[in-house]
Amino acid sequence: MPGGVAAPQVATVPDRSESPAPAGPATGPDADQPGPTGPGATAADAPPRQRLHPLSPVLQGAKSLFVVIAGLSWSTLSRVGFGWFAVLVAVLALGATVLAVVSWYNTGYHIVGRELRVHEGLLWRRTRAIPLERLQAVEVVRPLLAQLTGLAELRLEVVGGGKTEAPLAYLSVADAARLRQRLLAVAAGTPDQETTGAVPPTPGDPEVDATTPTEREPAGRPLHAVSNTDLLVSQLLTPQAFLLPVGVAFVVAQFLSEGSWSFIAVASTLTAMAGVLLQPVRRVLDDWSFRLARESDRLRIHNGLLETRMQTVPLERVQTVVVTWPLLWRMKGWLRLRLEVAGYSGGETDDRNRPDRLLPVGDLAVGTMIVDEVLPGVRLDALPLTPPPQRARWLRPLSARALGAGLHERVFAVRSGLLTRQLALVPYARIQSVRVVQGPAQRRLRLATVHVDTAGGSGAAAYDRDLAQAWALAAELTARGHAARRAR
Amino acid sequence: MNAAEPPQSPVSALEPWPDTVRWQPISTDLIWVELLRLALGLAVLLVGLAVGWALQGHWLFGAGCAVVLLGGGWRAVTIVRGVHAWGYAERDDDLLVRHGLLVRRLSIVPYSRMQFVDVSAGPLERAFDLATVQLHTAAAATDARVPGLRPAEASRLRDRLTALGEDRAEGL
Repeated sequence: MPGGVAAPQVATVPDRSESPAPAGPATGPDADQPGPTGPGATAADAPPRQRLHPLSPVLQGAKSLFVVIAGLSWSTLSRVGFGWFAVLVAVLALGATVLAVVSWYNTGYHIVGRELRVHEGLLWRRTRAIPLERLQAVEVVRPLLAQLTGLAELRLEVVGGGKTEAPLAYLSVADAARLRQRLLAVAAGTPDQETTGAVPPTPGDPEVDATTPTEREPAGRPLHAVSNTDLLVSQLLTPQAFLLPVGVAFVVAQFLSEGSWSFIAVASTLTAMAGVLLQPVRRVLDDWSFRLARESDRLRIHNGLLETRMQTVPLERVQTVVVTWPLLWRMKGWLRLRLEVAGYSGGETDDRNRPDRLLPVGDLAVGTMIVDEVLPGVRLDALPLTPPPQRARWLRPLSARALGAGLHERVFAVRSGLLTRQLALVPYARIQSVRVVQGPAQRRLRLATVHVDTAGGSGAAAYDRDLAQAWALAAELTARGHAARRAR
Repeated sequence: MNAAEPPQSPVSALEPWPDTVRWQPISTDLIWVELLRLALGLAVLLVGLAVGWALQGHWLFGAGCAVVLLGGGWRAVTIVRGVHAWGYAERDDDLLVRHGLLVRRLSIVPYSRMQFVDVSAGPLERAFDLATVQLHTAAAATDARVPGLRPAEASRLRDRLTALGEDRAEGL
């Protein structure tokens, strides 16, 4: 099965060279069709298709090992015994590895014109052409296994894709850095870099020729580094961490009363406990040694302990900045910054893959500095927020006090939330549409809610404004949106 | 279309910026489409209940029929009023769509933010010679749907939106 289908595919893949030939005009979709014209005709004028790193299937297989073990769960282990369990795991993992080898063999990528083309699939062959004008963010991710083997995964975020488009797993670190530079250059529209195969190391970017770029400080002007102790303390100040002692006491009491200490029971309990603690632990692991840097008009974010990530977000792609003050952090005066980029669906529950961390934890001064960097001229501590009218308390007796909205020179700012206070900042140039919604109770009280929709995230909503003010706000937002877009 | 500058003090709840915006109503034929749709739904429910009543003879089925009929009548009234409340307006730079009675919604969508325009017409709508135009932006929450347009008006609106969108198209 694999051989027969794969054979013609190989023919079109020329030598896996590191420096592709100059990219001429796009050769069209026939570049990957093993047609009767023969591979020689297409290979001559298209840049050669590049393979992923040969170690990738091994890593994929190892990754599937964990999935298999998790999927089989403890109860299977107790039912079939350890020997059979090991055999089962080995067989499944081996099968996954074989599949990974086959898929690696059939996967390739190359840049044609202003597109990145990714070819994949064995039976259902698929070629994805990713228009680089639409590139929102590039991420270099290095899971633990990839770090041990010196590999990296490249992820692209494109507008319109519900999920991360085209994860190229895995490339060598140098390849990944080079490809990222090249993609960003093409996306920014510098045509001279397209034709030269590999990007020449420019003085402003010393990272290209580095051997292990992600191990070092991110290039550019460093903005801020989060201290790891702060990160740990901040994650201890979460509801999960506070509830942990209660849970442990309950479990211990139960075991003491029942007197059964079987391995399965303990293991299951520990697994359940890990599930509860997963979020804070994950945050600690993900945001370990969080560093933020600015490189011309891009933001570089570097974080992670077991899995290091290096995200590059062009500043002009930032749709929303959200500032959060969790209840338990208030005694420390800490806040968290998040940014929204187009291309991530708002309903995505798995927030691991979203390049949304701008600051995992920090005080007001740091937050103000970073916000000023991302949205120049915006002072976090001096925003012109006005509360809704007094009668909004009939609708929200407690949280009406926390509400606020204001028109800054460049951004629309909205504050909400009684316990977990949130402040959303939407630049006028990023507004997609404005809505005014008025429910029946709001109509009684002559109130209305103004929504601002953005391409990523959930936008911002100014709740319960006075009706006349809401109309004025909507008109002003629309006008400012037009002005801001025209200015660009 | 008339002036783009919004006035400083809008007054009425139903008519924001009454001087500058000329609201266009949608076709009242949409009432019939919606009523037919409602009638079909009600008929299915009623038949189910009637069969139950005939077989079981329990009085609850009769009560159910009455409730369904009452709800249907009330819904018919809201449909009539709701269609009259629906309106749209084309300004120089943006499209305004308002609808809803219980929850009133007004959407302001700049033409330059338009990603694509949908024109659709279901079988019932086609029977009454109507079509629906929907404007999509990059934001999923954008709610700019104009139902109950004559096909000529729908294609005019679509062409105008497309032309304006191309004129002023910007990235994200």
